[in-house]
Amino acid sequence: MRTTLPVIVAFLSGFVMVVSFFFGGALGDLDDNALQWVTIVGGFTLVLGVFSILRVNGKVVAKRGRDWPYKLATVISVVAMAIPSMLPVSTNTVGGRIFYSIFPESWGSRMGTGPSSIYDWLFNYIDSPMMETMFAMLAFFIASAAYRAFRARNAEASLLLITATVVMLWRIPMGEALLRLFSDSLPDYINMYVMNGFNVSVQRGIIIGAALGAASMSLRIILGIERTYMGKG
Amino acid sequence: MASFWDNIQNIDRRWIYLLVAGAVLFPMIFVANFPIELTPESLQLYNAIDALPDSCAVMLTFDYYPSALAETEPMSVAALRHMFRKNMKVVTISNIPLGGPSIAERVTREIAKEYGKEYGVDYVNLGYKYGYVAVMHGLAGSIERIFPADNTGNLLRDLPLMQTVKNYDNIKFIYVVADNATLEYWISIVNAQYGIPVGGGVTAVMAPKMYAFVESGQMIGLLGGMKGAAEYERLLGILGTATRGMNSQSMVHLVIIFLVIIGNVGFFFSRQDKGKRNG
Repeated sequence: MRTTLPVIVAFLSGFVMVVSFFFGGALGDLDDNALQWVTIVGGFTLVLGVFSILRVNGKVVAKRGRDWPYKLATVISVVAMAIPSMLPVSTNTVGGRIFYSIFPESWGSRMGTGPSSIYDWLFNYIDSPMMETMFAMLAFFIASAAYRAFRARNAEASLLLITATVVMLWRIPMGEALLRLFSDSLPDYINMYVMNGFNVSVQRGIIIGAALGAASMSLRIILGIERTYMGKG
Repeated sequence: MASFWDNIQNIDRRWIYLLVAGAVLFPMIFVANFPIELTPESLQLYNAIDALPDSCAVMLTFDYYPSALAETEPMSVAALRHMFRKNMKVVTISNIPLGGPSIAERVTREIAKEYGKEYGVDYVNLGYKYGYVAVMHGLAGSIERIFPADNTGNLLRDLPLMQTVKNYDNIKFIYVVADNATLEYWISIVNAQYGIPVGGGVTAVMAPKMYAFVESGQMIGLLGGMKGAAEYERLLGILGTATRGMNSQSMVHLVIIFLVIIGNVGFFFSRQDKGKRNG
């Protein structure tokens, strides 16, 4: 049953979407309802994810296990972001009326996810700068990696090296000015032949190949041949 | 003992980091503005928005994480300025749970204030709903069915703008700003199946892939990375963060090219030396 039921659900869901795509309206509102179920089920998976993080990290903190201070930071962060964002912002709802009968109504502007809420403040002043910092550090690693790895060892590597250098120059105003010293049309040629020529032809091949792969994988799932999503080989 | 040419191939990474840091900071102190040349793709996007009727409704997506803000936020800001200048009604949405809705909230309110636009009348932030494929399909039927309330909890039925914008039929253009694969879904689902024009901007890493969709006509215009955003700013006649950021980006690109060249010079001569030694 644990295997059969998911296969039946996958088959029916896939069947509904395929039929409604090729024979629009043949199944009435069934495809719309199926899509709404995706959103609803997805919402539950997010909740499940939050509980899982709290459970796994909470256990380590309770036992003072390895790296427990970091796990504690994770738990505090999840709670600090999630709880205020889920609390009601006004007395318009039943939950809101109960909440604000206990707490002052002026707290309303701090709840939810709107501007001036706790969630918004934490996001804009802690989460966002930290993520930006992490990403910005990539520039240093890319520079170091490019210096060490980009070597004209053979014809293919040389071709890649030349193309990368030319495109890097083309993507910056200083580089464009430099390229125009050789020929006024050089930046336009790079856009036309490198980006819209070689690049597009290769990208199209990759996109079509990936789409065919996705279609065959979907068919395998719908027909119950592919079962790795259930943790089975 | 390692030769000079071997050493030149193995510069300590800390010197490289210092060089990159200097390349970022130097143009901030000594500003040298080089002209920003336009690409046909950014011009196509600008013209597409410009050709839309004034006061029509458009959708602007904030499908990006905070990590890519330096490249993507200037695109959103420039797009909003263009739309508000034309008095367009803007519906924003995000398919990214982490950050997207909050960034949309902050950016739209900031730009709307400059243009004296009112929330609920001139723009609405729908926020985020799980499952972008389902959301994109669902919006074709009814926006209110997928988003009964906006990002801050206001019911859609209470917002005047959403009385006229019910589904894709009421939206003239979808301007996607993304740092991930959602743009491909906007193209393959919304453009291909519902016929809504889609255009937008992506990070520089993603741009090469998107050229294929521009070339095929499935996407109208493309902004690639900070350079794309700077081009759009130039078209709007504004000096935004992308234009200012291009100086630092230019210097870092030049530093990387310089490092690659000296690495290869070292590689070439060291190989020649080894060849001579081995007879």
